[in-house]
Amino acid sequence: MKNLSIRLILIAVVALFIGVAHAGRPITIKGSDTMVILGQRWAEQYMNETPGQIIQVTGGGSGTGIAALINGTTDICAASRPMKPDEKLKLRDRFQTMGVEIPVAKDGLSVYLGEANVVKKLSLEQLKNIYLGTLTNWKQVGGKDATIVLYGRENSSGTYGFFKDNVLGGRDFSPRVQTLPGTAAVVNAVSKDPNGIGYGGAAYAKGVKDCAIAKDDKSPAILPTAVTVHDGTYPLWRYLFFYTRKKPAGDIKRFVDWTLSAKGQELATKVGYFPLK
Amino acid sequence: MRASHHFAGAVFALALCTVTPAIVHADEDATPAAPESSFVTREQLEKALDGMNEQVQAMQTDVDKFKRLKFSGYIQARWETSENSRDSVKVSGNPYTVTSPNLNRFYIRRGRFKLTYDSSPLSQAVIYFDGGSDRTLRLLEAYVTLLDPWTPLHDHQLTIGQQNVPFGFEIERSSSVRELPERSKAENVLFSGERDRGVKLVDQWNTHLQTTLGLFNGGGINQTDFPNTDPTRGKDFLARARWSQGWFDAAASYYFGRNTTPLTGPDVETKKTRIGLDAQTFYELPSLGGGTLRGEVYFAHEVNPDSVKALINGGSAANPVRLLKPNVDPAHLATDARGYYAMWVQNVGDQFQGVVRYDAWDPNTDKDHDQFRRASLGVNYFYDGYTRITLTYDVIKTDALVSPGRYADPADNLWTLQVQHKW
Repeated sequence: MKNLSIRLILIAVVALFIGVAHAGRPITIKGSDTMVILGQRWAEQYMNETPGQIIQVTGGGSGTGIAALINGTTDICAASRPMKPDEKLKLRDRFQTMGVEIPVAKDGLSVYLGEANVVKKLSLEQLKNIYLGTLTNWKQVGGKDATIVLYGRENSSGTYGFFKDNVLGGRDFSPRVQTLPGTAAVVNAVSKDPNGIGYGGAAYAKGVKDCAIAKDDKSPAILPTAVTVHDGTYPLWRYLFFYTRKKPAGDIKRFVDWTLSAKGQELATKVGYFPLK
Repeated sequence: MRASHHFAGAVFALALCTVTPAIVHADEDATPAAPESSFVTREQLEKALDGMNEQVQAMQTDVDKFKRLKFSGYIQARWETSENSRDSVKVSGNPYTVTSPNLNRFYIRRGRFKLTYDSSPLSQAVIYFDGGSDRTLRLLEAYVTLLDPWTPLHDHQLTIGQQNVPFGFEIERSSSVRELPERSKAENVLFSGERDRGVKLVDQWNTHLQTTLGLFNGGGINQTDFPNTDPTRGKDFLARARWSQGWFDAAASYYFGRNTTPLTGPDVETKKTRIGLDAQTFYELPSLGGGTLRGEVYFAHEVNPDSVKALINGGSAANPVRLLKPNVDPAHLATDARGYYAMWVQNVGDQFQGVVRYDAWDPNTDKDHDQFRRASLGVNYFYDGYTRITLTYDVIKTDALVSPGRYADPADNLWTLQVQHKW
């Protein structure tokens, strides 16, 4: 029995070291749909500049990315919202680490309207009541007499979470909201629906118009631009994050450092996001 | 989530197929004399799209309902071999007595599935089953949680039903995430089955402080008369306060109730008191990964298995008699017990994890040779995001009476190989 025990312990130790030795695989980034375009541009340019390095970028939503970080199936999670306390506990349960939060860019959360919609601005209170289902007709906010058609994201989306927390005050969306699988789908739906309203990353606003947002009735309505997002006068701005399980090292650190460099931040601006500084 | 998209897509395509012939048919009915045309008017198309939109809305409502339902679970298939394993069960004596169980075996330690329904942002229902070791499907948990409507993260939650007893650290930690296959001996004895029926109130006061208050039947789900009776009649009360700093967590737990020892004549009631202290600290080694050191201590005063030695069982099957031995103080049915464990977990990269634990349990601190001690070594290999392979070796030390006044540690060390798949 003793000999058998020693052999099995040796097998376990050897297996342990084989696992440590295995390296050199691609870097995987999974998560926020808002950040997919940004992640892909970063990955493309970085791979061009770093021959041999492969980076795979996929979406699915911030919640999906965080789940992948927790179960070990992605190296980097891209998230358009901070991790929740219960998600941090799950990560700690599995990896004994708190996770590392790295802000990589800023984003203005645009409210999309159809280009033909006469409404140009909304206050946060009006926006909240529209998505809670209290305001249901455009004429209640200065538009024509037509039912407001609501478009939104699925609950695995960080954009959904950000909007719920910062616009709805944590309350639940109206059941009339048509949930769509990505920001591009929301933009597409609003662009074809003159009575539609949607929300998502500013970089996606093509074929729709941005709605100016006022903090309250007395404040001016502000459009999301590089200046207003940067100085915080546009009320719906947020950080976009990378999350890793532990302090980035090796290939992952080199890539993350590159996204934070002047070159990486400039590329973020070109894609339609906003730099950190 | 992806499945629901596929489902919605498939139904949408089906709707398209059924609506399209209807458009053509309507067109033919409206203009019977006109020559056949493959064109439809904008108005007709808009009507058809409106109809489809209504159908999609209805389907969306159904899909949203399904998305509120979460189905999760895990299977732990295990191979165990003990030092005293035999190839067959031995019997001896007259009448025959089973003397040595077969401890070299494959078995299913846990086969569990859980259904969670997030009915609304303010309530949640959970029902949880186990069909593991004894092949019988049994209810592990069934409870309803009400979440407060006045804080964004629902910091105050009330749960009622059959649930984990919220005492200490390891009880509420799922077996699917625990680094070693089994909890400590002290927990196994004091909170056998980990669950009970009752109510708990959890309050998160800020990012660091959480308190829990609970009221439970007190018997636990492994008690033979669970769930029909509450032998202690009175309810057991518990309180816990946990401070979480992120890299360091600590909690103190207090449990108070009564044990009832049924006797012929008046039953004897004794106090049941448990106090628990636990702490966990987390660190990160750049070259290896995260690690944790944790420990937990249990102090208890309650009826223990030795207490039955203070009783006399007699009479007949039809008329049993159970009395206290002469000169035994009923208060001594309850004794002081102690238990603890210390544990170290170290991740090695993303796929490997090493574990060391020492745990001890003394059911009666006034008595010698009844202590249990165990050193456990383990390695976890995370095969993918869902599957984990665990190999552990438990060195178990207990005192068995081999001759009057002479004790020896039986050969009962244990190897365990476990494959777990969690979804």
